[in-house]
Amino acid sequence: MSSAGSSDTAAPSAEGAASILHVDMDAFFASVELVRRPELRGRPVLVGGTGERGVVAAASYEARVYGIHSAMSSVVARRLCPDAVFLPGDHAHYGEVSRRVMAIFRRFTPLVEPLSLDEAFLDVSGSVALLGTPLEQATEIRRIVSTEEGLGCSVGVAPNKYLAKLASEQAKPRVGERGPEAGVGVLVVRSGEVGGFLERLPVSAIWGVGPRTDERLQRLGIRTVGKLAEVPEHTLVELFGEVLGRHLWRLARGIDDRPVDPAQSVKSVSHEETFAVDRTGREDLHHELVRQSNAVAGRLRAGGIAGRTVTLKVRFVDFTTVTRSHTRVDPTDVAAEIVETAGELLDGLDPTPGVRLLGVGVSGLQDASVRQLRFEDLDTRTRRQAERTVDEIRKRFGKEIIGPGSAFSSSDEPRPDAGSRPWGPDNISQGHEGHEGHEGREGREGA
Amino acid sequence: MKFRCERDVLDRALSVASRAAATRGALLQVLGGIHLQLEGDCLLVTGSDRNLTVRVTCQVGGQEDGEAVLPAKLAADIAHALDSGQVEVTVGDNEASLSSGRSNFSLRTLVPDEFPRFELPAGDEVTLSASGVAAALDQVVGAASGDDSRPILTGVLLAAEEDGLRFVATDSYRLAMRDLPGTSILSRDQTVLVPSRALEVVGRLLGDVDELTICLGEREAVFTVGDVQIVTSLIVGEYPNYRGLIPDDHPNSLIVERDDMLDALRRVRLLATDNTPVRLEMSSDGLQLKAITQDIGQASETVDANYDGEDLTVAFNPTYLIAGLEVCPDEELRLETCDALKPAVIRGVEDSDFLYLLMPVRVS
Repeated sequence: MSSAGSSDTAAPSAEGAASILHVDMDAFFASVELVRRPELRGRPVLVGGTGERGVVAAASYEARVYGIHSAMSSVVARRLCPDAVFLPGDHAHYGEVSRRVMAIFRRFTPLVEPLSLDEAFLDVSGSVALLGTPLEQATEIRRIVSTEEGLGCSVGVAPNKYLAKLASEQAKPRVGERGPEAGVGVLVVRSGEVGGFLERLPVSAIWGVGPRTDERLQRLGIRTVGKLAEVPEHTLVELFGEVLGRHLWRLARGIDDRPVDPAQSVKSVSHEETFAVDRTGREDLHHELVRQSNAVAGRLRAGGIAGRTVTLKVRFVDFTTVTRSHTRVDPTDVAAEIVETAGELLDGLDPTPGVRLLGVGVSGLQDASVRQLRFEDLDTRTRRQAERTVDEIRKRFGKEIIGPGSAFSSSDEPRPDAGSRPWGPDNISQGHEGHEGHEGREGREGA
Repeated sequence: MKFRCERDVLDRALSVASRAAATRGALLQVLGGIHLQLEGDCLLVTGSDRNLTVRVTCQVGGQEDGEAVLPAKLAADIAHALDSGQVEVTVGDNEASLSSGRSNFSLRTLVPDEFPRFELPAGDEVTLSASGVAAALDQVVGAASGDDSRPILTGVLLAAEEDGLRFVATDSYRLAMRDLPGTSILSRDQTVLVPSRALEVVGRLLGDVDELTICLGEREAVFTVGDVQIVTSLIVGEYPNYRGLIPDDHPNSLIVERDDMLDALRRVRLLATDNTPVRLEMSSDGLQLKAITQDIGQASETVDANYDGEDLTVAFNPTYLIAGLEVCPDEELRLETCDALKPAVIRGVEDSDFLYLLMPVRVS
């Protein structure tokens, strides 16, 4: 198999051209919290929205023993494990830790493609001569991440991204009958082993196979990837159409020629929030929009990027979800401009049935250091300048000290920083450890 | 309704009028149509999206009076595709046929009742020389914004100046301004804001005529160019204070042959992909243009120029810079700068009626 993307050109290594790494942090958010609060080690810890409508963003392996997993409703999670420690998410801190972890990866290769805060692809083919075989590098990465950050991660090593991701999954810690069990940590799938590795995996493991396709494949009696690999390409195309059919055929054989692209690192910056109580008022929603836009703009500016496309996401009470986008003439990293565009999109929707979730995002990102100036920039009191000043103040005095006036509403307690609770509101009434407050930052001092 | 005419007559009338027809997503389907009205030998061809109406009057061989609305793009495309020669147009209850030579087309018509009524606003007509207005529109209209979220900037400002008429347009990155001395259509200190879309239509028609008339109403303006009438609603709102943007003082002044700089810019910009600006490095040695795109490559070119000022590098969006130079009236131009973050002023060395103001690209 010679479909290893950019590793084709690599010097042959002991891993048989398997020089793409997929590094996946183990229970990232929960583990980061445990670093700050070692006293919680060994206890089931959940990070996410603690309120009635919140969802679990991350669960420690101790919590997973109870059947809790991320994206599960917090209410269900609490029912499964009433003793679990619920922590509100601290996205800013996770972002900070993530940046340090990604920086560790970049000590091994510049070809790092982050997929999210807690996982990345690395192409280490260029550093084999200098730093050792991909397996040795993977082992070293795990050691450094553990000693410098106190965090665990699992690494898949394979000839391409798709196989590397499947491999890291197999290397992860598991939940056994007697509680959490350590995984192998690093799993290498060499070119010659691809068939054997894929054979027994369920078809749902294939990238792009969702519940629907899974169900169709099951009905056809195709349960494993090995079985799928026996189906001729033309039959798959007939059954699933040109695009999906070919996709399935290729992936069943472990073929994936996407290169590791460091430029793909960030495609969008967004925030969303599930409300404790459904919102129906336009004004109310506008307040939320202002808060979230400020969080998004702050992150854009912190990252030195700006984007042209503003996307609004609204989920109604019946769970129907609509997203609306508008592409601006020039890129923005200014909350007031994001609000302007997203506000127009919001005006086009009828909130009266009740809005459960609101989200705003910016994509079409580019380097903000190169910026076509406008005549408005000649006025030093521009919105961008004002927001930059707010950034500075927040940096020095903390996030909650300052925020836009319109982010405060009379019907709500003031909480200008939308970024602190991206997974739903916290439940103030329940006295579980670590979320006694409403700002998503209390209790951290003890770390 | 039934008439005959030359293909060229129908082709032109439909193509001109369809510029005002609404494109996709029109609230009312009929606004995506072209209205035809025949009285005797006089055919009125009208396109309208309510904000902009364009009416062409043409002479045809009329046989039966009547009115109809045809789908604009389709009708215009058909007339354009036909061989030159006689075309016969016949409109029945809900179908129109266009026949020429061996070609026959029949089209489902739209309901004319809902088509906007053509009304001319009251006001005094002023006649202007077409060449002056044509030049002014050519220089200014392109600088107006295409972004509908800022409607004010999609317009061209017509303002009465001491000794004439001023045209101003800006999209907030650049501003183009042209004075027509000795021309007055507005009363003292009066300004109107005309949608640039309407002025584009006007500008394209001015090549064929010697003069045009303008009539300004309260909320609308009418331009009459030969056999075409353009009625546009005016944009309401306060135009930004453009005078305040034009710097009084420029410490640095570069004088350069326009075409030399344009040629060099067009070459160098090949290496200014995506959002990369072109840098103007100005020193007593003259002008050097530079474009550097990461991971792609770089280009540079020196241009003969006279520079008076301190050494300075300013970066510009090459598209905006080229657009400004292209409409600069003199063969020699002056580019005046203050620093890398302030607008540059471009004008002809001889001509004082035109000015192009361009904000730089900040590179940090």
